[in-house]
Amino acid sequence: MIDFTLSKSQQAARDYAHQVALEEMRPISLECDRTEYIPESFFWNMQRRFWAGAAGQARKQAQEENEKQDNVLSILSQEEMAWGDAALSTAIPGPGLAAPPILSQGTPEQQMRFLGPYMDGQLHWGALALTEPGIGSDVAGMSTTAILDGDEWVINGHKHYITNGARADLIVTFATIDKSLGREGIRPFVVPKGTPGLIAGRIEEKMGLRASQTAELIFENCRIPKDNLLSGRESSKKAGFKAAMGTLDATRPMVGALAVGIARAAYETTREWVCEELPKGSPPQKRREIEDELEELRQKIEMARFLVWRASWMADRRIPNSKEASMSKAYAGELVMKMTAAAVRITAPGENSKRKQFIAKWFRDAKVFDIFEGTAQIQRLVIARRLFPEVDIP
Amino acid sequence: MLDFAPNEEQEEVRNLARSVAVEQLRPQGRDAERKGDISPALMQTLAQTGLTTPFPEELGGSGAIDAMTYTLIAEELGFGDGALAMNIIGSLMGPVTVLVAGDEHQQQEYITPFCDKQDGYERRGSLAFAERTGGYTLAEVNATAREDGDRYILNGTKRDVIHGWESSTRVVLLRKEGTTGSDGLCALIIPARGEGLQISADVQKLGLVAAPSASYSFTDVAVPASSMLGVAGNSGVIRAATLYNILRGGVACGMARAALEYAMDYAKERVAFGRPIASYQGIAFMVAEMAMKLDAARLLLWRAATSWDRDVEIDTLVQEAEAAQHQAIEIAKSATIDAVQILGGAGFLQDHPAEMWMRNAAAME
Repeated sequence: MIDFTLSKSQQAARDYAHQVALEEMRPISLECDRTEYIPESFFWNMQRRFWAGAAGQARKQAQEENEKQDNVLSILSQEEMAWGDAALSTAIPGPGLAAPPILSQGTPEQQMRFLGPYMDGQLHWGALALTEPGIGSDVAGMSTTAILDGDEWVINGHKHYITNGARADLIVTFATIDKSLGREGIRPFVVPKGTPGLIAGRIEEKMGLRASQTAELIFENCRIPKDNLLSGRESSKKAGFKAAMGTLDATRPMVGALAVGIARAAYETTREWVCEELPKGSPPQKRREIEDELEELRQKIEMARFLVWRASWMADRRIPNSKEASMSKAYAGELVMKMTAAAVRITAPGENSKRKQFIAKWFRDAKVFDIFEGTAQIQRLVIARRLFPEVDIP
Repeated sequence: MLDFAPNEEQEEVRNLARSVAVEQLRPQGRDAERKGDISPALMQTLAQTGLTTPFPEELGGSGAIDAMTYTLIAEELGFGDGALAMNIIGSLMGPVTVLVAGDEHQQQEYITPFCDKQDGYERRGSLAFAERTGGYTLAEVNATAREDGDRYILNGTKRDVIHGWESSTRVVLLRKEGTTGSDGLCALIIPARGEGLQISADVQKLGLVAAPSASYSFTDVAVPASSMLGVAGNSGVIRAATLYNILRGGVACGMARAALEYAMDYAKERVAFGRPIASYQGIAFMVAEMAMKLDAARLLLWRAATSWDRDVEIDTLVQEAEAAQHQAIEIAKSATIDAVQILGGAGFLQDHPAEMWMRNAAAME
């Protein structure tokens, strides 16, 4: 039955994340952005907050509600976190983007082995290494190789744009076992931190999401145990490629949720600015125009949010959602750019207030949401291919 | 708890509406435009499905339908033909407003005739909403009703009132003189003739030609106090108006979906430079964009419809319904324009329905 209201656990997850965003993220947001540094205390506070307290409560309640809703609970809190600070939200300790491929492609034993340590109360991160200097969404051209040598896989290659890459305790790396197979030769491997031959390269300096760590990783004859290959669920040839794409189906709505969170922050702050900081001499007509534009953007924020909710709801129900995941990401990615650009323009007059500093930051943060996890163009390609399954769209 | 799947009953009704839309409305769309109205035979068929009498059984109806379900029906009808859908829903809004805002006596008097098994299908209702100074939002309702003893004095204008000429339950949305916003809105039933009342049929319309409409002008028109539906300023009036917003949004989503699917079918068939044009990103991306924006607008609309059924606080409902209507019409306009573009020269011809749909969508404003 069509329903847009949140259940108790959904509301609890959202409220809790909002509280965290307000208390832990907003106060240090501008400073972390300027210095590209996150204080250790933030990580511990996050660790404490998310493995105890109300988040645990929400999880317990969700189990009582007896519905699989991991994705929905996750995106509800992602939006709030990004409302706080999207860069800081990517740095919260936990398996992060490494979790989806392990959960979807790992055997129960692998899930225990790789994800179990994250529950020990210490600070751990995970990372996902897909992009290479020469490839993005065109994964078929992947050049990182994995060759089986006795009981070990030997990995060689170069990955970049990896969130938390240099602090991750384990990295899910996609590599090809046979280049001649194209995308069907791609497999996901788990590479633990400290493996000889795993080298963290440069940490990128970026326009936005500056507090988020974006690293380069180099694999030089990096040897990992044979059973670090994630292929537990499917043994078909396409399993690895599917894992890569399946990961994106789960993460794209999350990226969409982050974009919605930033857009909402920019919307709210712009409204506050209009109420409290709009220069006195502005003509009434100007105010009307701003109000109209903000109302249009508010409606689009809601639509973006619903697209995200639907894609995640489908993921929880195990309904194939590639098209819907891409829609949510494409729509939200474009919207957050529009919203933050409008915020910069609307608030251009007046003093350089705290609100304007936040808006400037969000504007810089926003652009990447049109780019990572597949650019706006790639999302349209995914949607179009789903709409025209019988047509070959190169 | 979040859920995006219609329930079984909704699926069933939606399928019924879809088959009527595909088998009846779509093939008759162009002909209805030429004739400027729905055919009596089609109204009779629709009456048999029960879709046009969603009223409680004690009033003779086929059973009340919630707003969410009727929104699904509206989309299917709009998918069949936008103008015929507006013809049907425009008529329905007359008795629906009586149901939501009127008292028991008024419901008996005005709704029961629509449910008559013999000739109920011949009857038309209407709800006058937009005015010459604005669109379909409550803040733009400026026509007034002034209390004057045992009668009301009406002043103002109404435009594009579907069935405004020939309907026999002619409901008009007004506000009590001196009120603004959603306070003081009221609905009155007006007669066909009266001093100071001018009703003129709209001619040479851009679109929605198959939904005949009229414009009203009131200059100190006196109507008896009993014409007021329920108590003046009752929230049922606002709920009826927001329901019209929501159902118009549903029709608009259907218009957009029709354009999208028609353009997709064409793009798969039409070959240029040796390949179907759907295989070019210039076309494929356009289609992806249409589909994405339609889904976004539909979700916004569904939320408004569920809010109507949950009876949320009235200002929230008004905001949600008007936003949903606005976004649905935006996608209806852009998708129909894009469909004409994808069909190219063929889109400009009346051999295809695309140009008619483009005019219909623009006429929703």
